[in-house]
Amino acid sequence: MASGGSQLSAAQRSKWPHVSMGVALIVVAVALTVGWQILGAEAPSLGRPTLRWVVYFFGSVLSLLLIGGLVLIVILLLREVRLNEQQSNFISAVTHELKTPVASLKLYLDTLRLRELPEARRDDFYRTMDQDLARLNATINSVLNAAMYTDRPVVDPQPLDFARLVKRAIELTQTRHQLAAGTIAYQGPESLRVLGDATALETATLNLLDNAVKYSRDTVEVGVEVGSNGDGQAFLRVRDEGVGITRTHLPFIFKRFYRIGPEVRRSRPGTGLGLYIVRSVVKGHKGTVHAESAGPDRGSTFTITLPGLLDAPARPDHG
Amino acid sequence: MARVLVVEDEVHLATGIRFNLELEGYSVEVAGDGGQALEQLRAVRGSPASAFDIVILDVMLPGLDGFQVADRMRQGGDHTPVLMLTAKSLPEDVVQGLEAGADDYLAKPFELSVLLARVKGLLRRRDWARSQSDGADTATIGDAVVDFRTFELRTGGEVVHLTLLEAMLLKLLVQNAGRVVSKAEILEKVWNVSPDTETRAVDNFIARLRRYLEADPRAPRFLHTVRGAGYRLTP
Repeated sequence: MASGGSQLSAAQRSKWPHVSMGVALIVVAVALTVGWQILGAEAPSLGRPTLRWVVYFFGSVLSLLLIGGLVLIVILLLREVRLNEQQSNFISAVTHELKTPVASLKLYLDTLRLRELPEARRDDFYRTMDQDLARLNATINSVLNAAMYTDRPVVDPQPLDFARLVKRAIELTQTRHQLAAGTIAYQGPESLRVLGDATALETATLNLLDNAVKYSRDTVEVGVEVGSNGDGQAFLRVRDEGVGITRTHLPFIFKRFYRIGPEVRRSRPGTGLGLYIVRSVVKGHKGTVHAESAGPDRGSTFTITLPGLLDAPARPDHG
Repeated sequence: MARVLVVEDEVHLATGIRFNLELEGYSVEVAGDGGQALEQLRAVRGSPASAFDIVILDVMLPGLDGFQVADRMRQGGDHTPVLMLTAKSLPEDVVQGLEAGADDYLAKPFELSVLLARVKGLLRRRDWARSQSDGADTATIGDAVVDFRTFELRTGGEVVHLTLLEAMLLKLLVQNAGRVVSKAEILEKVWNVSPDTETRAVDNFIARLRRYLEADPRAPRFLHTVRGAGYRLTP
């Protein structure tokens, strides 16, 4: 009979024997060391006091090394286990992200083949299939982008207009999510020139905007700000009023494959690569990325900074 | 007209499945997550006219996942046949689904014709388990009386409501009373999966049936395990 056990993944179940064995070994080593110290101090059989102290000293050092080593192994083990879980979560997420649109496409294709349908219904189905293809394409792109931008500095930075790039990304995001123009508010200069890789920066910006929409609640309310901070750096700030991020998850969200919650109870589509790509792109530009959130349901704000500002903003245009 | 509850959070899939089932003459409702599904099932319990005849259940759902939904349905005494749909198609996922109480399992992406056939098949299997043509409506095992029309098992003053799979397993054993029925045969006929599937599901179900039938499940008098061969019922 399936009980609570079915709610644990195999990885979670198999982790505990290893970890508890490590902890038990540490306890044994500590007990051994303490016991040995006490016994050593009590037993006078070793003869000369100097010899006793030498044995005592080396013994203590070796014991501490042993304990330290064990602690280290347990820490490494835990880290390995966590990585493993994230990877299997990633496989699970990508499986879902790839198979769902494929299943949908197959279903509608079969339906079109099997049934006599009126024109309007057929058009409906074609539209659905188009959206499935777009989703499939987005997943493939994010997996490819993650591979492309990982730990790689921008090879050939070119002058580009960052403000225009962001505004284009806003328009594209609004179209993709069928939002009214102006849902994502832009604040910043008409033009802001920086050195960088336009495609990579566009990918990163689109990921941030996409997240802001995806993690919004019923009404989408997103604010985007572009500007320069005076010390030769351009910045982009994306603020949403969505579900927010709890303090415990905040340090991990830029990690590869990291997604909040177990994958089988996924609440938002995604692969756990979006923010990782953002961080990789920004790192490639020697910039910084930062996330903050006041907590669940209180929205989040993502800020990236990019060095390589080419000129002071022509004129501030608050719109 | 059979009623189907489709539990699927992906709108495109839910819409497509509903559209096709309705063309086949089913009456369909859709639930977007596990909690909502349980609520919809609870709402129609006890009213035979509006109760669901089959649940098509996705595994990856927001909130409660499909395994949990199936598990809670069974523990809450809801025995509506469940067809699980999921993007995961590894053998261990199939097994986990069956152990959670699903009656059939289909991997995404699926052929539309296969989905429709499985739905029909599940309804037919339920009807088979209830049928009167091959054998009696009721069987007596020790003190217990099983009614295959209602899936009810009476022992003393107690009434146990069997799930579809429990009823089918018991019926198979009753029909072959005195003869050893192999695990492979059970997997094929009751679970509708390949006979070499590695699963504890059959053992778990036998253990459950023993709890209903036997005074001391550890020393069975009616439902015997024949080591290396299968199971035998001696009423």
